[in-house]
Amino acid sequence: MIELSDIRKVFNCGKPNEFTAVDGVTLSVDSRKITVLKGPSGSGKTTLLGLIGCMARPTSGRIHLTGRLTQGVTFSVEGTTAEVTSLPERFLTEIRRRAFGFIFQQFNLIKGITVLENVMLPAYPIGEGFKPLRERASRILSDLNLSGKLFAKVEWLSGGEAQRVGIARALINDPTVIIADEPTAHLDTKLSGEFMGIVERLKGDGKTVIIASHDPIVFDSPIIDRVVEMRDGRLSGGYQRR
Amino acid sequence: MILHPSIIALFLSSVLISMLLLYSSYYGLLILRKWDIKSGSELQLDLERRTYLISTILTYVFGFQLISLFLYVYTADLLHPLFVGAMCASGTLTVNSYGYPTLILKVFNFITAGLWLVLNYTDSRACDYPLIKNKYKFLIVIAPLVVAETFLQAKFFLGLKPDIITSCCSTLFTSDSTSVASDLASVPNIPGKIAFYTLIVVTLASGVYFYLKGGGGYVFSLLCGISFVMGIISIISFFSLYYYELPSHHCPFDILHKEYYYVGYPLYLCLFGGAVAGMGTGVLMPYRKAPSLMEIIPVIQKRLIIFALVCFLIFTVMVTYKIVSTPFKLEGY
Repeated sequence: MIELSDIRKVFNCGKPNEFTAVDGVTLSVDSRKITVLKGPSGSGKTTLLGLIGCMARPTSGRIHLTGRLTQGVTFSVEGTTAEVTSLPERFLTEIRRRAFGFIFQQFNLIKGITVLENVMLPAYPIGEGFKPLRERASRILSDLNLSGKLFAKVEWLSGGEAQRVGIARALINDPTVIIADEPTAHLDTKLSGEFMGIVERLKGDGKTVIIASHDPIVFDSPIIDRVVEMRDGRLSGGYQRR
Repeated sequence: MILHPSIIALFLSSVLISMLLLYSSYYGLLILRKWDIKSGSELQLDLERRTYLISTILTYVFGFQLISLFLYVYTADLLHPLFVGAMCASGTLTVNSYGYPTLILKVFNFITAGLWLVLNYTDSRACDYPLIKNKYKFLIVIAPLVVAETFLQAKFFLGLKPDIITSCCSTLFTSDSTSVASDLASVPNIPGKIAFYTLIVVTLASGVYFYLKGGGGYVFSLLCGISFVMGIISIISFFSLYYYELPSHHCPFDILHKEYYYVGYPLYLCLFGGAVAGMGTGVLMPYRKAPSLMEIIPVIQKRLIIFALVCFLIFTVMVTYKIVSTPFKLEGY
């Protein structure tokens, strides 16, 4: 469960170009469900995703995650609720690393290195042994039908393949929450459909998925549990699909 | 005022430190009045962000505060040829009435700054700011002392005139007068040594007990503070004599000279390091039961205990080695 209470995010606060991207959002996101944030460009979807994923701090309001901060700044998913907006940066880094997997609109893969290395990269700071890490990365890529591309440079990949590498990278640390920002923006209808199939599998694996999108292929998909509509930084409606 | 690079560096850095401390104290007061971790208000979130900034600023500010003590003594020592009668830092510090008060305040602020850093480090290990209010209360106590130090130091530097006739250390640290320095110099040799070594053994034993059993933290902390004071007294009273090989020369500054291989610097560093680390364990004692610190404080305390014990042990080994290895014998004087 992710609970947002009265979240505001103001950019350039107090300056002439002050802009309120998210304004008073109170929202609960259920665990092990797929939630879509739907809305036009500039509605605050990406900003809200960034706040949920601990990539940025709100100007006011609090965000609670199911989980528990333990000694040694590890983030355990079991236990009580943790309030994340007040945490010092080094705790947030750990939460980002352990609790969230990010899938970006532009894929954000690192050129010049292989598919396998891109996927393994977010796990390096954890200090896991190289061999088990490589085996896990290979297994995830294989599950996403990329077993033939392990040693290919990412610049050689098609859009759909790059997207799946981005998904594999998001899964490498076995996060509980997958955050995807406009994941189908650069995919055609067929590839978008394949992406939604992967999302359904992630849900089946017990992941919580939050997607920001204004693509009907996403928010009209039957696998979606809940649609939250946003406009001008506020919640403007929404509906429960399941 | 003498426009020496060290004086300018100390003067400007002290002014900068004071200004940054006053800035931090303002937010410290705001935190003391308005801090509410349960609130998600804009002010609360701003204070949370601000506390990272202040914490970072103060880490550097207090880091320099620690260095400035040694720079101050070094500068006083460096300037002594400018004053008639001065043979070392001791003479420079008596050029006017602000030299020694500044030094004493710098020593005091060194310890308090070190303790604040221990508190701040511990607070930053936990996720829920458990020491935030106590940390800033402590800061608000330290800030006026640092500002006072800046004022006294400025008065001292502004009052330095090259034509002033001053006293050398042999007249200040002598057992033949009635000043505090004379009282320190006239501590009897053998009872003084017995007191010093007994205190060090008791301190080391209590440190080992605290490390192994987790008890007696306050006692160890207190003993470290007393050992620090006793260490300073012992240097002035008898340890320095072995380095000078003169039965009547008690100067605590000459051992910082090249002629004595700068041995004073490691000696004083060990004493100050041991004092801050040892007393730091005591500063953390009241917070051992805080839920978010229960696992963190014992780890930090163990590191501090080891550091303090190593510092006092090195100090003791260094002075003992000198006593044993030098042909100079103090007994009989």
